[in-house]
Amino acid sequence: MSQHKNSLLLALLTLNTIYMVQADSLNPAPDMSSLFSTSLMSSFPEDLEISGYCKELLFFFKQRYVTFVDCLILAARPVKVCQNCSSSYSMLQDIYRNISDQVGPGNESCRDSLLSSDRLMVVYQLYSNLQDLWTSSNCESNLTNDTLNFLSTLNQTLTCFEKYQLGNHTELCKSCKKMYGDVNKLYGRMEKNDTMCIDLEDAMNMTRRLWSKNFNCSLPRDETVPVLAVSSFMLFLPVIFYLSSFLHSEQKKRKLIHRSLLDRYSIKAAGDGIFSVR
Amino acid sequence: MMNSVMTLNLQGFLFLFYFLPPRSYLRFLSNKFDLCVSQEFLRGRPKEIPHNEKLLSLKFESLDYDNIENQLFLDEERRMSYMGFRCLEISRWVICALIGFLTGLIACFIDIVVEQVAKVKYNVIKENIETFTEAGGLSISLILWAVLNCSFVIVGAILVAFFEPIAAGSGIPQIKCYLNGVKIPRVVRLKTLVVKVCGVICSVVGGLAVGKEGPMIHSGGVVAAGVSQGRSTSLKRDFKIFEYFRRDTEKRDFVSAGAAAGVSAAFGAPVGGVLFSLEEGASFWNQMLTWRIFFASMISTFTLNFVLSVYHKKPGELSNPGLINFGRFESDSLAYTFYEIPLFIAMGAELLLCLMSAVLFCRYVHRPCLQVMEATLVAAVTAAVSFTMIYFSNDCQPLAPDNTEVYQLQLFCADGEYNSMATAFFNTPEKSVTSLFHDQPGTYNPLTLGLFTLTYFFLACWTYGLAVSAGVFIPSLLIGAAWGRLCGILLASIFSSSSTWADPGKYALIGAAAQLGGIVRMTLSLTVILVEATGNVTYGLPIMLVLMTSKIVGDYFQEGLYDIHIKLQSVPFLHWEAPATSHWLTAREVMSSPVTCLNKIEKVGTIVDILSNTSTNHNGFPVVVQVMEGDVPAKLCGLILRSQLIVLLKHKVFVELARSRLTQRKLLLKDFRDAYPRFPPIQSIHVSQDERECMMDLTEFMNPTPYTVPQETSLPRVFKLFRALGLRHLVVVDDENRVVGLVSRKDLARYHLGKHGLEELHLAQT
Repeated sequence: MSQHKNSLLLALLTLNTIYMVQADSLNPAPDMSSLFSTSLMSSFPEDLEISGYCKELLFFFKQRYVTFVDCLILAARPVKVCQNCSSSYSMLQDIYRNISDQVGPGNESCRDSLLSSDRLMVVYQLYSNLQDLWTSSNCESNLTNDTLNFLSTLNQTLTCFEKYQLGNHTELCKSCKKMYGDVNKLYGRMEKNDTMCIDLEDAMNMTRRLWSKNFNCSLPRDETVPVLAVSSFMLFLPVIFYLSSFLHSEQKKRKLIHRSLLDRYSIKAAGDGIFSVR
Repeated sequence: MMNSVMTLNLQGFLFLFYFLPPRSYLRFLSNKFDLCVSQEFLRGRPKEIPHNEKLLSLKFESLDYDNIENQLFLDEERRMSYMGFRCLEISRWVICALIGFLTGLIACFIDIVVEQVAKVKYNVIKENIETFTEAGGLSISLILWAVLNCSFVIVGAILVAFFEPIAAGSGIPQIKCYLNGVKIPRVVRLKTLVVKVCGVICSVVGGLAVGKEGPMIHSGGVVAAGVSQGRSTSLKRDFKIFEYFRRDTEKRDFVSAGAAAGVSAAFGAPVGGVLFSLEEGASFWNQMLTWRIFFASMISTFTLNFVLSVYHKKPGELSNPGLINFGRFESDSLAYTFYEIPLFIAMGAELLLCLMSAVLFCRYVHRPCLQVMEATLVAAVTAAVSFTMIYFSNDCQPLAPDNTEVYQLQLFCADGEYNSMATAFFNTPEKSVTSLFHDQPGTYNPLTLGLFTLTYFFLACWTYGLAVSAGVFIPSLLIGAAWGRLCGILLASIFSSSSTWADPGKYALIGAAAQLGGIVRMTLSLTVILVEATGNVTYGLPIMLVLMTSKIVGDYFQEGLYDIHIKLQSVPFLHWEAPATSHWLTAREVMSSPVTCLNKIEKVGTIVDILSNTSTNHNGFPVVVQVMEGDVPAKLCGLILRSQLIVLLKHKVFVELARSRLTQRKLLLKDFRDAYPRFPPIQSIHVSQDERECMMDLTEFMNPTPYTVPQETSLPRVFKLFRALGLRHLVVVDDENRVVGLVSRKDLARYHLGKHGLEELHLAQT
């Protein structure tokens, strides 16, 4: 596999040299040069400069990166990231793997020179940002029968929505209820079992919002009377309880033992040995 | 006023006495009023009055914290080798480790069982509600919820009301009294522990507005009292270990370690636990003890932490330090700046007044079956109120990702959203507290929080004082967190531009601190507990300031909940200091007299008669020697306790028998320890008619050097002696060392500073 990829790469390399030249010439003079009278020297001694091979790799990386980002931005709303951009992501992954793991002609590796020779580590940072984004989209979650099933039911529901959209919404709520219920149930089951990719999640969210907010098909609150009746009955019980126990029992009476200063004076006066407490 | 009193009849006149403040008694005295009038009344039956908080009950006895340095003690100390003392010291540490370990395990047990059972309960109700939301008939789910709640609470209430009433409530007042030196019957029994643990599980799962943290402190205390004795009287097992620690002094030290271990298991706050013991518990503190107590509480926290990490399938990851986990307050938005401190203080000042005591006063329910019914009704009402609140709430919030630990209800919300009132009501209180602290700003709307605070406040007030074992920490935290969050949200809406600093979670924490501080009135220990529970030392200053303000504001209106509780129980509790304006009272006025004294060599019959006199349930008897014949009071030479006399009678240590049977074994300190702590009543000891004529020599057994004071000693001085030394009896002597009176705990505890100066509490039977 990797062998094959390498050969492909070499072929591409030769093709792209022209572009490279063009790219160099097209590369606009950095604005910095206008600010600072002297700019950095364009080249360093031979052994510190990156090799042609690495330059090639960097160029491919740039191309694929741009393609992927393009794709992402276009698929941002409504989210279709997983559906549209999986291929371009895997291409980006390949080239990055080339940079980081593979060894080019003459056993040379671009890993150090491209990824970690300075503080900024532009290539690494850019890639890892996108990688995080991709991981949080959960696109890698495996396709199962459920997913396909879900997609088809979802599409059916959406067509149903479209069909009744113009008419009375109560009509829609009634006719699409079963289909929507199926989707909801299926989604609930899938959500419990494993993580969902962002496309499905978003599609489901939109459908739900359509259903509850736009078409107002949420359940009505129509049981107010029985709920109120039962709860007020329960609230009424303690009132009876406390009233009855108030009427039937009296508070515990405490027997006092009279022994304040006053008594002791009186006791002493009488010379009586009334009990004392210890 | 004099005239009006004179014209009243006798009965009415004395009735008036009960309601006059003590100062007016003295005014009568100085007026040389004829005092013999009242004496005739005293002969009659005692006056009965309704129970109130200004009484001292006679049923409470003191603990013997003072060491009895009698001959036996000296002998034993002489016999003990250097190694023996080292072993004792080591076994103290072993006991502390055991206390920490067992307390931690109990906390784990409670936590895991509550979580599992609550999971089953909430899932059943949730499914039911989900089906019935669609199909109609939500009132059935309401009934199901109420019935489930009631059934758990019934079990808990039956356990408490019928088996061990002392296990009701949080147990903190009881432990506080125990450590103060008051013997509360059955408070540190194994049965109490079992009932307490089961009861708290039932009441938390039963959905009452209670927490499981307070009971942990009591449980820790019971564990300590049990472990340190090396035996269980309830199970009739004696492991023949730790025999040396079978007396009140040693036990008290371990119980304070147990209370600390309980706090640290409940909140994950080892230092807070030690300080709690210091502040609330141990009235008699020594520095040697602190380090051991700290050891016990550390062990307990980390036992809990480790077991819970295994339970959560992350063994070794010690991130669950307490029963309640406040979560980490570490993000940037939770940082505060100095200009917020005045705001925090203001929040402390506006705490809701503690109305709970009002509920305690008017409890008419005394019979156990009625208590069970009451608790059941409260459970049903709690369910009904919660359900109604959830039903009518319009506050819907989008589902948060992976918030699987919280039970969410959708009800009438749009799909993909949940009812945010349900997050507060349809969860165990601990979970609700954490979500109030940490949920994103905007998770709750102000109306929800306001309604929640109000309802929960009334529920918590009503629940406190039920015959179920439950704590008050979590409800107060929850109420405080809710209105704190409300304050945060309102502040953020006022200063909408600078909403970055007004994170509602931070205000929820401050609110919780203020509320809890206002209810329990702890200062140092609560600050440290909260700081440790949040895991962020920088919150120390605002929490401390808030607790200070809430204590000052609260004290202006009423005492703390635990103090009110202690007062209502009529416990003779000695506070930190004697009442401020009591220096004019001297020992002569405070003491009880005349004193029942025993002679150094006393007739057995006399002793038995004195002990079995039910009207005078004396516990300590000064031992005297007659110097002269006649009526002159005798000179003091020692003090002997009822428990010692009973052991002596049981072993028949009579002078005559010792003469006839020369081989009789000499009584050792061990014999006294074996009878501890449940000394048999005098009625169970059979003394024949012949034996009544024998004599008993108390010289060897009495404490030959009891503490004494002269008659002119002021009340604060006597008080200081009692507090510092943990005394039970203090003999008042005249200048020739003759016994004049005896001061005991009740004589001191009855003076307290009221609104009209110094007041005297009445003594009441039972």
